[in-house]
Amino acid sequence: MATEVLRGESGLRGSNIDALFHPSSVAVVGATPKQGHVGYVIMVNLLGKFKGKVFLVNPRYDSINGVKCYKGLTDVDDEVDLAVIAVPAPVVPQVVVDAVKKGVKALIIISGGFSEVGDEGRRLEDEVRSIIKDSKVRVLGPNCIGVYNAENGLDTFFLPEDRMGRPPKGPIALISQSGAVAAAILDWASRRKLGIGLAVNYGNKIDVSESELLEYFAGNPNVKVITMYMEGLKYPGEGLRFLETARKVAQVKPVIVYKAGRTKASVHAVASHTAALAGDYEIYRGAFRQAGLIEANSVREMFDLAKALATQPLPRGKRVLVLTDSGGMGIQAVDTLSTLGLEVPELPETMQSMLRKYLPPLAIVRNPVDVTGSATDEYYKIVLDSILPTSYVDMALIVALMQIPGLTPNLVNYIIDAKRYGKPMVVVSFGGSALMEKFNDALENSGIPVYATPDRGARALWALVEYSRIRKMLREEVE
Amino acid sequence: MTHDLVVKALSEGRFKLLDHEAYQLLEAYGIPTPGYRVVSNYEEAIKAANEVGYPVAIKVISPDIMHKTDVGGVALNISSDDEVKRACQEVSSNVKRLAPYARVFGYLVQHMVQGGLEVIVGGLRDGIFGTVVLFGMGGVLTELYRDTSMRIAPITEDDALSMVKETKAYQLIIGYRGMPRRDIYSLVDIMVKFSRLIVDNPQISEADLNPVIMLENGKGSYVVDARFMLKPHN
Repeated sequence: MATEVLRGESGLRGSNIDALFHPSSVAVVGATPKQGHVGYVIMVNLLGKFKGKVFLVNPRYDSINGVKCYKGLTDVDDEVDLAVIAVPAPVVPQVVVDAVKKGVKALIIISGGFSEVGDEGRRLEDEVRSIIKDSKVRVLGPNCIGVYNAENGLDTFFLPEDRMGRPPKGPIALISQSGAVAAAILDWASRRKLGIGLAVNYGNKIDVSESELLEYFAGNPNVKVITMYMEGLKYPGEGLRFLETARKVAQVKPVIVYKAGRTKASVHAVASHTAALAGDYEIYRGAFRQAGLIEANSVREMFDLAKALATQPLPRGKRVLVLTDSGGMGIQAVDTLSTLGLEVPELPETMQSMLRKYLPPLAIVRNPVDVTGSATDEYYKIVLDSILPTSYVDMALIVALMQIPGLTPNLVNYIIDAKRYGKPMVVVSFGGSALMEKFNDALENSGIPVYATPDRGARALWALVEYSRIRKMLREEVE
Repeated sequence: MTHDLVVKALSEGRFKLLDHEAYQLLEAYGIPTPGYRVVSNYEEAIKAANEVGYPVAIKVISPDIMHKTDVGGVALNISSDDEVKRACQEVSSNVKRLAPYARVFGYLVQHMVQGGLEVIVGGLRDGIFGTVVLFGMGGVLTELYRDTSMRIAPITEDDALSMVKETKAYQLIIGYRGMPRRDIYSLVDIMVKFSRLIVDNPQISEADLNPVIMLENGKGSYVVDARFMLKPHN
């Protein structure tokens, strides 16, 4: 229902945003046989992976590596949904004129050399702005790294695959203000097999803004969680638009934001107490809360939270079962959970005495439930099956240190089996063995997020509780 | 929808509302302030003090004085007719001596609210987000602790409540270590109305309600001092 509202708003221009992510045909303007050039890498990536038509455009070549090359966009004898532009900045306005003439739906202007470099660049940027003003074409950039879509192989990230790995398909979308940060995140995510299926960097933002990208991802059924790396908004007054959009999007799916640039001194003239107290970052933080965004404190944390939000159901309450084979890890989990306002309730006597029957004498059954260093897979199963389905807990944090000899990879199956109770679970697993790595991979492949330390697992559970609160709050307001 | 008081101040070339104008503006939005009167001499002041109730504060009203306390323009905790007379004379001579340039429009006699918790509510304009509302702990250490929260105006009751809850001041408000619980809903009411006030009056560039005094639960909160800075709007 809310998705419909979102789609309606941008109208026809909004619908062309889809061509940035799901075009049926792409033209690479600035395709080149010169290895290492931006146009070369994009061309190679698209020819190799993109599931759709690819046209090469460069007036200097008739063909590149055996593929036909057109003089200009208007010479392409087929429809072009998306043009990726990687030519020197001074040439860009003419390419945009051609694109409008050709009826291209969307452009990604990779080229730098615009407002980020000074007055001449600013003039070029304004020229592009005025060319697109009365057309339906939507423009991402300039000065951006563009779009990555794992689903259809659309990839304008101009970094070779041996430098920047590409993450697998998955439910996480990334909107990044920085191209370099986006590239680093994707590389990192690919090694961890984290499913960032869609990523976008918007550069100088002359047209398509982060607000519209949020709106678009909200309506995209493949996206379950939206992550945002943000340094700051740019245009006067656009904060309100961002706030309103984010508020609507947060009703539909979780949005996690990491804002860099937190310490910049206040730029406001200071004639009052209020102004002296108001830093830029504090205003952003307030706006994020108001919009129902979940704020992360680092890039790593952003994806820690995203992983849980993408895979776990939302908890009904804030009570956590902590199940551990290490007392120390259990205490760490409780520390973070209580700091974040979650509860680790003592189990009722009836439950405790039942557990005592099955667990070894040294086990602690209050919660945290400590199955100790003599734990076996079966102990975990007993605790999960007898406690998780009861109304005493809303979710579980499971610490499984695989250094303990009694544990085997079969534990994975018991944990996966407990998904049927419909309650969120996160696993904390820490170490360096190949066995542990296999264990972690098996869990993550089955949609159970794994964290190296208890505080990270605890924070992931907090994000689930927090989003459940946010959604309830925003939906109540609408009613 | 700028209020007449703001229009008038700007038309007179003033960039700050006078104290009583600030109170009138707050009243126009239903924001409670302690009883006050504007007077021009000590006889009127004594009458006013009896009407608003002792103890009272006496403050000089002048468009030319930025910080009244710096020029001895404020007398506090006055609790008898004799003291009112003495305070009027003292404030008047202090101002003549320390701010001889200042035009004096009169004196404000204001009932002093006793024994509450001091918090601050403020507003400012941000280039990106527009109007911003701030809440924080009051008192001299406000800027040191930076125990504040912000939202974009206008705010809802839920916004106001969550702003209060995310500060440490919240622990004091709900009764820290045997201290009484404060009237949080009257504070929320002030914050919501204040956010509407600054949205309605774009010529207000910055505003402080400092302090807002929160009384015990059920007894309300009062804006004891208010500062509205103005900027002609383009």
